[in-house]
Amino acid sequence: MSPLDRRGFLTRSAALLGAGGVGGIGGLARASAQAQGAASATAPSAAQEWNVSQAQLEAREPFDGPHQAGILTPAPAQATFAALDSIAPDRGTLREALQALSRRARELTVGGPIPLLEVDAPPVDSGVLGPVNAPDALTVTIAFGASLFDGRYGLGAQRPRELVTMPTFAIDDLDPAQSHGDMLLQICAHERDTVTHTLRELLRTVRGSLQLRWMIDGFSGAARGPSPHNSPRNLFAFRDGTANPPTSDPALMDQLVWAGRGEPAWAVGGTYQVARIIRMHVEFWDRVGMSEQENMIGRVRASGAPLGGTDEFEDPRYDLDPEGKRIPLTAHIRTANPRTPATADQRILRRGFNYTRGFDPAGALDQGLMFVAFNQSPTRQFATVQKRLLAEPMIDYITPVGGGYFFVPPGARGEADWVGSGLFVAT
Amino acid sequence: MTRRRVPVAAAAVCVALGVFLAVVLLGSGGRTQTARPASAPLTPLATYSLRAPHVLSTDRIYSLQGLVSGAPVTPAPELPPTPVSAFARPIALYRAYAVGQLGAMERQIARLEGALAANDRVAARAAWRSAYARYLRLGAVYLAGEVATLNQQIDGTASGLTGGVASPQFSGLHRIELGLWTEAPPRALLGWARRLDVDVRELRGALPRVSITPLEYATRAHEILEDAVRDLLSGADVPWSGEGVLATEAGVRATEEVISTLRPVIGGAERVIPAVDTELVALRSAIASIAAAHGGRLPPNGQLTQRQSVLLNGTLGGALEALSQVPGVLETEAPPQIPQIPPRDVRIDP
Repeated sequence: MSPLDRRGFLTRSAALLGAGGVGGIGGLARASAQAQGAASATAPSAAQEWNVSQAQLEAREPFDGPHQAGILTPAPAQATFAALDSIAPDRGTLREALQALSRRARELTVGGPIPLLEVDAPPVDSGVLGPVNAPDALTVTIAFGASLFDGRYGLGAQRPRELVTMPTFAIDDLDPAQSHGDMLLQICAHERDTVTHTLRELLRTVRGSLQLRWMIDGFSGAARGPSPHNSPRNLFAFRDGTANPPTSDPALMDQLVWAGRGEPAWAVGGTYQVARIIRMHVEFWDRVGMSEQENMIGRVRASGAPLGGTDEFEDPRYDLDPEGKRIPLTAHIRTANPRTPATADQRILRRGFNYTRGFDPAGALDQGLMFVAFNQSPTRQFATVQKRLLAEPMIDYITPVGGGYFFVPPGARGEADWVGSGLFVAT
Repeated sequence: MTRRRVPVAAAAVCVALGVFLAVVLLGSGGRTQTARPASAPLTPLATYSLRAPHVLSTDRIYSLQGLVSGAPVTPAPELPPTPVSAFARPIALYRAYAVGQLGAMERQIARLEGALAANDRVAARAAWRSAYARYLRLGAVYLAGEVATLNQQIDGTASGLTGGVASPQFSGLHRIELGLWTEAPPRALLGWARRLDVDVRELRGALPRVSITPLEYATRAHEILEDAVRDLLSGADVPWSGEGVLATEAGVRATEEVISTLRPVIGGAERVIPAVDTELVALRSAIASIAAAHGGRLPPNGQLTQRQSVLLNGTLGGALEALSQVPGVLETEAPPQIPQIPPRDVRIDP
């Protein structure tokens, strides 16, 4: 097992327990009593009056597995993205921080009562969710940026083959203060307080080793029908994610999402995560005629159907419209995914979230899309699509302002393992 | 940033629904109650109503009550399309105006070169401000196509360039802005000013040949000030000088010029002109009050008080809501019907 980690909350708790004293035993008893109190409060009759669905709060997404959670997992309502930089002085400290991060993340995804160990010490958990942490389908997805593989930790030789600093595309106005980073944490759950609590706990766990570089909160449009299958809307009011490749098809995921061939052994089963903060100039958009909006996207705003169609998931039949008389050749859906055999392996798995964060000095709402794409090869997939999109008229209504390229390692194999462990086995 | 919206040539960029809404809203006339009384029954879920998206200077309240989910809506009759020929004179007038602005800009660049040669930062900044404001008064000219490169050289920003401000493609007004508002010796910027001079003269020569379509011209009526919100008052395009208010004022002048040339074409349609006039007067008055409070000079973005900022952003937003009705009343063709996707088993091969 790992050496004692002063940063890891669990290890710290264990040390307190190991110290044994009177406080330890009394604290355990108290924690147990708190847990019982919380359990009795979850009686179904009381729960019926709550706003929050107890079943939803009790849902668990496993942290461990061949692939990390939060990639194929259906996107819940709330998310936070936090890019971190490592200030760990050496490789061993970085390793300890990563171990502690996985350990704490796993614990939060499982949930459970918070132990109260010493009344005169700061509580081991902020307690924002109450005495019992409900899992709430929490996922914590840990990813590494290209800069983690610079000279500091001797990881250069193990850099995933295509992991580079995100290039600047022609429409980008990247703010260095919200771009790139050594790591990216993607935290998702149904409830905002779960996500907020998780970020706070994880940052505490790695304090002194991993420090915030930029962060942004995201949310999904609610499922407003008409069917449960309809995609949620982005802040341009169009459905987003309609043409995503089906995550239920493992063979397709092997072709489009999971990294393998040519990658270092530790990276096999991971995926590249493209995260881009795309500001959407929503007031400007709202002053554009409806048919122009629909022509820019290529879909009917209300239904999400391709222009000329009635159903969101209908094939847009570009083969019958080679001149773009029905769906303009520059329309977003047509440029992004021309649906030809030649572009089939360029498809990406999108898992974006809307964001809103106040307004800018011009009084315009600072809203947009936290664009997230998982793909096997950003060169073959994301960047190819992005370059094609430089020709779409919609670019005038958006400005990518931040984000980065990251690599999501394969999942941890169990409680003794941790995300990124493969980086450290060779030495 | 000098991205300009690329007009969607196909498919009636200008908006069936814009016209429809305007007709419905204004046609219904009068004031619409903006809040539902507490006791009123809830609107059925199959329908929705949006009320009072924008109040135009208390003169008129826009209101929309529409139905979704296929519920029956009787679209208001389309306005007859505006003949393309009606735009010939407005565009010719604007083109002449734009050439005049570039001539004035050249004189400011000469001033700038003199100040830089004298290593006089204060005079150089003043000349830069004048030259920049002149350039932004071009406003309605889509500097795309053959003059896109010239426009990038004159007014391009470092965003989107690999290497940012260190990129060899970063030149022109904003390269000089960087030097004048940082520590660079003004004299070191003289080369950039001379190159700017050459580029502006070349553009002035090319301007009479730059295509301006009716669609683009009508759309620019609101896009000039959309750019001001997105790129200028936000600070995005003027990161060093912060001269977004000055630049916005130039955009207001360009917009006024566009509206003045289009006034006879729009006529009384949809009561768009009175609304635009009202809002532009309010915006101009806000700018004047800000200048007066800063000793007659338009201040950099960062020196606006919160109240001035709210006033400017608010009146600008009001103007934009009114201006966004302009393209819809100037369509040159009826919006085409979108063909339906045929069922899978139907072959329509010739």
